[in-house]
Amino acid sequence: MRRRKVRRKTRTRLRERYERRLFEILRELSIPLVILHFTLAVGTLGYMWLSGGDFINSFYMTVITIGTIGYGEVVQGADTTAGRIFTTFLALGGIGVFTSTITVIARVFFKEELQQLWRRLSMLNAIERLEGHYILAGFDEATAELARILARRGQPFVVLDDTQEGLARIAEQRVDYYLPEAPFERETLLAAGIRRAAGLVVNLGDDARNISIIAVARLVRPDKEDFAIYSFASSPENAQKLEELGANRAFYPGRMVAGRLAAYLFHPESSYLQGLFDRLAFGEETDVDLLEVRLDEGHPWAGRTVGELRRELGVNVVALRTPAGRLDLDLTDDRVVPEGGALILFGRTERLEKLRERLEAAHELS
Amino acid sequence: MNSRKLITDFFVLMALTTNVSFVVNPNGLELFITVVTNLAATLLKVGEGRVLSAELMATGLVADLHLIPALYFYYAGDPPEAVSLAWGALAANIVSVLLVVIDTVLKSYMEEE
Repeated sequence: MRRRKVRRKTRTRLRERYERRLFEILRELSIPLVILHFTLAVGTLGYMWLSGGDFINSFYMTVITIGTIGYGEVVQGADTTAGRIFTTFLALGGIGVFTSTITVIARVFFKEELQQLWRRLSMLNAIERLEGHYILAGFDEATAELARILARRGQPFVVLDDTQEGLARIAEQRVDYYLPEAPFERETLLAAGIRRAAGLVVNLGDDARNISIIAVARLVRPDKEDFAIYSFASSPENAQKLEELGANRAFYPGRMVAGRLAAYLFHPESSYLQGLFDRLAFGEETDVDLLEVRLDEGHPWAGRTVGELRRELGVNVVALRTPAGRLDLDLTDDRVVPEGGALILFGRTERLEKLRERLEAAHELS
Repeated sequence: MNSRKLITDFFVLMALTTNVSFVVNPNGLELFITVVTNLAATLLKVGEGRVLSAELMATGLVADLHLIPALYFYYAGDPPEAVSLAWGALAANIVSVLLVVIDTVLKSYMEEE
């Protein structure tokens, strides 16, 4: 029986913290408003007593008196001696109350923190609607470049960074979704939608912080197959440790750049092809792409020939990874695809995307 | 003793008692005082860190939205309509007082834990 997926909406602690702070700020309005309210009440009651119960005009008279409008005595009894004494004292006390309340209201509503909280709550609402997104913890130049590539691909992502430099970069790059909170806090990861995310990229500048976020993320999403964590490391040795501690892959940037440069140096005669595969591997080429399809047990493609698949799928089957892990590049049309291996497909991005969606739908149905 | 809670609870109760007295014996001054105490109770509830803050605020707003039109109707020459609106506000005020009691009990349990 097919189980229906029900999306559970939970209130994150971060949201509760933001809301609590928002109400704490609004609470500053409470006492000045109560004092203004009682000033209005006393004024209205006084004029009602003087006029013999004319509520509407008494209220109006109070408002124009303490609001420094002063159109004159619009209520009966206000131009008597008792009325003038009452108006004098009401104006002396009420004008101060009115102006101070207006000042407090303006101060609270123009407070930068209130506007920031409002923006953050709207951001949390938007993040709650995301699914299958990536979380980028730390936003330095490398992650900023990754964010550009993801944006070009239309892949949603949430950036977590609470440093001044990171926030400046977020503003400069106009990142759609971000949380200016400590990335290694559990509540920040939950607010970033880690339970619904496809993966996490960790780049917090030092390995100790990277380890802490990987540990927290793995407590929430323990399955490496289900949720991928990619981390930066400060040395090749630490990269290995990060992988042992829960990252799917940890990269030492120096080695990656050196390897990429070496590939160009050793293949100067095929620089175009080298560049194409390079861009494909790093997701920079948007028109064409590569796709790896694992042929698990019972996969409909298993047992069929490469020629059949090439004709039917409309993409190039460029390589086959055998169940033993060997990469076979000499694929003839009559080669039978074995179960347990993986096919490497090369073709137009949109065609591959449709193929991926079709495969996912078939997988869910089974 | 929490002085802020004392003042808020005082106005919540006062809102109920003045509301009852207006419904029993409709009188313009009584209605005015009911509106004043209700609005004060609502304003004092803003930003209060209670367990049932949202529920208390909602009941306060319901009572205000009954009583402010009631004041208008009373002075516009339709006291029966004002009384019927005040009955609505009375229901909200009873719920409000019950919520204050439940909130206090809940909070004391949470503090013990």
